[in-house]
Amino acid sequence: MELSAQKMAGDSAPPVARVKRRAEPVSGRLLANVILLLIGAYFMIPVLWLVVGAVDKHAGWQIQLPTLTLDNFVDALSHGNAQALWNSVIVSTIAAIVSTGAGTLAAYSFSRHRIPWKGPILLGILFLSGVPVTILIVPVYKMFARYDMLSMVPTAVLLGVTSLPFAIYLIKNTIDAIPQDLEEAACMEQAGTFRILRSIIVPLAMPGIASAAIFSFVNAWGNFLIPIVLIADQSSQPAPIAIYSFIGSATIRYGQIAAFSIIYSMPVIALYFVMSRYFKGGFSLSGAVRG
Amino acid sequence: MNQTTFRPVSLVLLAPAAILLLSLLALPIVYAIYLGFTNLQLIGPHAVNYWFTGLENVRQLLSDDVFTSSLWQTVVFVVGSGAFGATVLGLALALLMQKASGVVGKAVSGLAILAWNLPPITIAVIWYAATTSGGTFPRILGDTNHDLLYTYPMLVVSIANVWSLAGLSMIMFSAALRSIPTEMVEAAILENASATQRLFRLTLPMLKPTILMSALLMTLLTFANFTLVYLMTGGGPDNQTNILPIYSYLQGFKFHRLGYSALLGNVIVLLSSALGLAFVLIARQYRPGQVRKNKLKAMSA
Repeated sequence: MELSAQKMAGDSAPPVARVKRRAEPVSGRLLANVILLLIGAYFMIPVLWLVVGAVDKHAGWQIQLPTLTLDNFVDALSHGNAQALWNSVIVSTIAAIVSTGAGTLAAYSFSRHRIPWKGPILLGILFLSGVPVTILIVPVYKMFARYDMLSMVPTAVLLGVTSLPFAIYLIKNTIDAIPQDLEEAACMEQAGTFRILRSIIVPLAMPGIASAAIFSFVNAWGNFLIPIVLIADQSSQPAPIAIYSFIGSATIRYGQIAAFSIIYSMPVIALYFVMSRYFKGGFSLSGAVRG
Repeated sequence: MNQTTFRPVSLVLLAPAAILLLSLLALPIVYAIYLGFTNLQLIGPHAVNYWFTGLENVRQLLSDDVFTSSLWQTVVFVVGSGAFGATVLGLALALLMQKASGVVGKAVSGLAILAWNLPPITIAVIWYAATTSGGTFPRILGDTNHDLLYTYPMLVVSIANVWSLAGLSMIMFSAALRSIPTEMVEAAILENASATQRLFRLTLPMLKPTILMSALLMTLLTFANFTLVYLMTGGGPDNQTNILPIYSYLQGFKFHRLGYSALLGNVIVLLSSALGLAFVLIARQYRPGQVRKNKLKAMSA
C-alpha cells in the first residue's frame, strides 16, 4: 500500500517539480528510513523473544542464543493444553455462527424492509458495539449462576452476542450494495423471503458475512475475562486461560509459554491473511471489541 | 423490494438478533445498574439475600481513595496511550512510509499489523517477557536485573498498549493519505512549499477527520483492553495500574463485593457512553460514506 502512495506522489509529479525536489528527498528519505527502522525495532524486539524462546531448550525471559529443540511445542500441547485449544475452537466457532446467523437475518431486514424507528434502532445497535464487555461480567455471572449456565455453550453464545452489533453493521453494508433487480425478479417468480435470502442474498453478501464470521471468531478467540469468570469447569476452559495458568504455575516453563502462544496466535494471523487476500476489506476493525 | 408497509416477516428475521441483544447485552446492562445499588456479594451473607441499599455504595465510592486514583489512572491510560499514543504513532508510521523506501516501509508496516492482530494474551505475555527483570528491554538499557515493569508499571503497560493498537491506526491513516488528491500535493510543490509547510498546511488539515476517528476508536479499544493490563500487572504494584475495569473485577471476584463491582461497572458505562456518543456524532458529521470507504479500502491496496 505504501508503494502505491509513493508512486502517486512521485511519478505523477511533472518533471519540473521533480528537479526542484531532488535536493530534499535524499536526506529526507534516509531520515525516514532510519526513524522507521527504529520504530520497527520497537515492534520487533518483543516478538523476537517469542520466536527464539519457543525453540530454545533453556529459555528464560531474556533473548539468548537458543539451544534448538522442538520439545517446547510437543510439551506445550500436553497436560490438557490441546484440550484448551480445542475448547477455544468450539467456543469461537459457536460465537461466529451465532453472530453471523442472527446478524445476517437482521441485516437483510434492516437493509430491505420498512421497519418503524429504523434509524434510532440502528444507532442503538452501533452504541451497543462500543460498550466494553468488562461491565457485563457481574450481571451475566448473576444471571448464568441462577439458571445453572456457567458452562461453555452459554459463554460462547454470549461471546457471539458481543460481536453481533458489529456483525449486523458489516453485513448490512454489504447487502446495501447488492442491486435489488435480482430480488425483484425472484419475487416475480413467487420466491419467498427465505428462498431469496438463501439463493440470492447470502451468496452475494458472502464477503461481508465471512468478514463478520472471522471478526466474531477472532474476538471470541482472544477473550480472556468472559471465559475465566463464566466457565466453571476447569476442563472446559479455552486457551487464554491455559496461558494464564502457565504464567501462574510454580515452575515457569518459558519455552512452553512461548511455543503455546505461537500455536495459539497462528489461527488469528492466518485468518487475517485470508481476509486481506480474498475479501479485500471490511476487516480493518477486527480488533474493535477486545475484552 | 423496499416495502412501504411493515410486514410480519421482518419480525421473524429480526427476532433472533433482537432476543440475543436484549437478553444478553441490553438486559445485563440494565440489571447491572440495579445491582450497583445493592449489597450483593459473591460469597457470604448477602450472596443470596441481598437488597437495595440506596446510595450506600455511591457514598462508599466517593470516599474510596482507590477509586479516585483508579479513575485518574484510567484517564491517563486511555487518553495517554490510546487517544494520543496510538494515534500519533499510527500517523507517524503512515507518513514515514510515504517517504521511506518501499522495502523498509513494507517490513515495518507488516510488523505493526502483526502486532495489532496478535491476541491480547500473547501481547501481554511477550511484553511481560520483554520488560520484566532479565528481559530484553532491561538488557538493552544496560541494567539486566532492573524490573522495568515493577518500576514504571503505568508507562510499560501504556507502551505495550500503543504497540498493540498502532497498526490499526496506521491502516486508517494510510488509506486516508491515499485519498488526498495528487493535484493538491503537486500544486503545493509547484508553489515551492517546503515539506514542513506541506505537512502542516495541507496533509494534517486533510487528515483531521481521520485523526478524530482514530483517537476515538483507540480510546474505546484501550478502554476495553482489560486483558493486557490484568495479565501484565494484575492492577499492581501497589495499585499503580489499577484502571477501572480491573478495579471492578477485583472488587467483584477477589473481594467478593459484586454490588460495588457493578457500581464501578456503571461508572465505566457512563464514561464509555459519553465516548460512544462522541464517536457516533463525529462519524455522522464527517462524511460517513468516505470514512466507510476508507475502512473498506484499507486492506485492498
